[in-house]
Amino acid sequence: MAKVAYYPGCALNERSSHLDRSARDATEILGFELDELESWTCCGAVPPVSKERIMNLIAPSRILKDVRDSGRDMLITICDFCYNTLKRTNFSIRNDDIIRKRVNAFLADDTPSRTYLEEDTTPWSDYEGEVKVVHLMEYLRDELGYAEITKKLKRSLKGLKIAPYYGCVMLRPFDEIQLDNPENPTIMEDFVRALEAEPVKYPYRTECCGSYLSVSSPDASTRLCYRILSSAMKNGADAIVVSCPLCFYNLDSRQKVVLDAYPDFKTIPVFYFTQLLSLALGVETDRQGFERHYVDVSPALEKIGNSGEGDKA
Amino acid sequence: MYKKLGLDPPCSPPILLDRTKVRGEFGLQVDELSGQHLYACYQCGNCSSGCPLAQEMDILPSRIIRLAQLGQKEEIIRSNTIWICASCFQCTVRCPKGIDIQAVMDTLRQIALDEGVDHFGPDQIDSKHAAEVPQPGLVGVYRKLST
Repeated sequence: MAKVAYYPGCALNERSSHLDRSARDATEILGFELDELESWTCCGAVPPVSKERIMNLIAPSRILKDVRDSGRDMLITICDFCYNTLKRTNFSIRNDDIIRKRVNAFLADDTPSRTYLEEDTTPWSDYEGEVKVVHLMEYLRDELGYAEITKKLKRSLKGLKIAPYYGCVMLRPFDEIQLDNPENPTIMEDFVRALEAEPVKYPYRTECCGSYLSVSSPDASTRLCYRILSSAMKNGADAIVVSCPLCFYNLDSRQKVVLDAYPDFKTIPVFYFTQLLSLALGVETDRQGFERHYVDVSPALEKIGNSGEGDKA
Repeated sequence: MYKKLGLDPPCSPPILLDRTKVRGEFGLQVDELSGQHLYACYQCGNCSSGCPLAQEMDILPSRIIRLAQLGQKEEIIRSNTIWICASCFQCTVRCPKGIDIQAVMDTLRQIALDEGVDHFGPDQIDSKHAAEVPQPGLVGVYRKLST
């Protein structure tokens, strides 16, 4: 089985472990393994404030350099924040000579294997941005191909109307991420179609859900989430699909608060894209961690007729 | 007048310009720290119209840029705009002049933080909430809104 280096990041390691598990289940069926790095640290979650703050680039650069040093040239992440941070760091190292030199000056100092210089025959190779950082969804689209997923489907999600929610950092800033069109993306719609479900287009799919404001200004985040969720429902969605742990937290758990603030609001189930993928590939419902969702997902599951044992052969 | 919270249009107070501030170093300092060319902005307002959080702000993003061009540091670091910005990059991808407005906001936040107290600290979040939020949210908020 093909192995691809995999950086889970802090959220997937603990508070969103159901995203991690469903991704591992699904990729195993699709014929490749997410090979978690032997050691990794926090990537820093947000890219540095300005070019002067070189310190904020060190943690992601160290992760990328470790991948390169272990002889691999591709790194998969799932969390959108990790993806954004790692990819933008890589972009800076590739395109900015000064940043590359300064980062490598730091990295050279903290590599423990460099203490016995005489015996060390490996060259002092600077990290120059060789690793390609890919989102799992990007890997499925470009390396595996969505057609491959459709071939391996065990359950069709036919009849389910799914609203993809992109959020902010998965697509933007476009110059550095280059994943898809930032104003009219299609990567998630195509993914939903590959699972034979029907994608729902709605105007708020790339609008911010408030991100970390749910910690510092929760009311602002509540209003944003209400706009996004009600817009998706107005356009006929049965469920929302996200890829980011923070989007999931805001759109799922915040529905509790939205319900209190807006009496006309009805809840809508939120899924991680990996949960839908592994469900469609035949993984049992009880392995998806649905009990950790605030909103009951069973109305959506009933629509595809696999809340119980009624699986398609 | 529609009084629902968060739907009042933001209005900036009138400011008095004086030569020392307008000709001062503040605009250049922001330029240098953010790596952007602030004076390219011609006030089309695309950033403000696309900003999902514009309704929560007291000064619109495009006006923040104008204030920075005019060296109005006090106005900017006293506004809530820089703390409400969620760094979603909507303005950055839409700016017709190619200014990375998010980088400018980050820089302004940093200048404000260098001036004084943190906007948000660990004591301002209740422990039950902190135990639920995914870590990128916590790390993000402390990196953006505190020193």
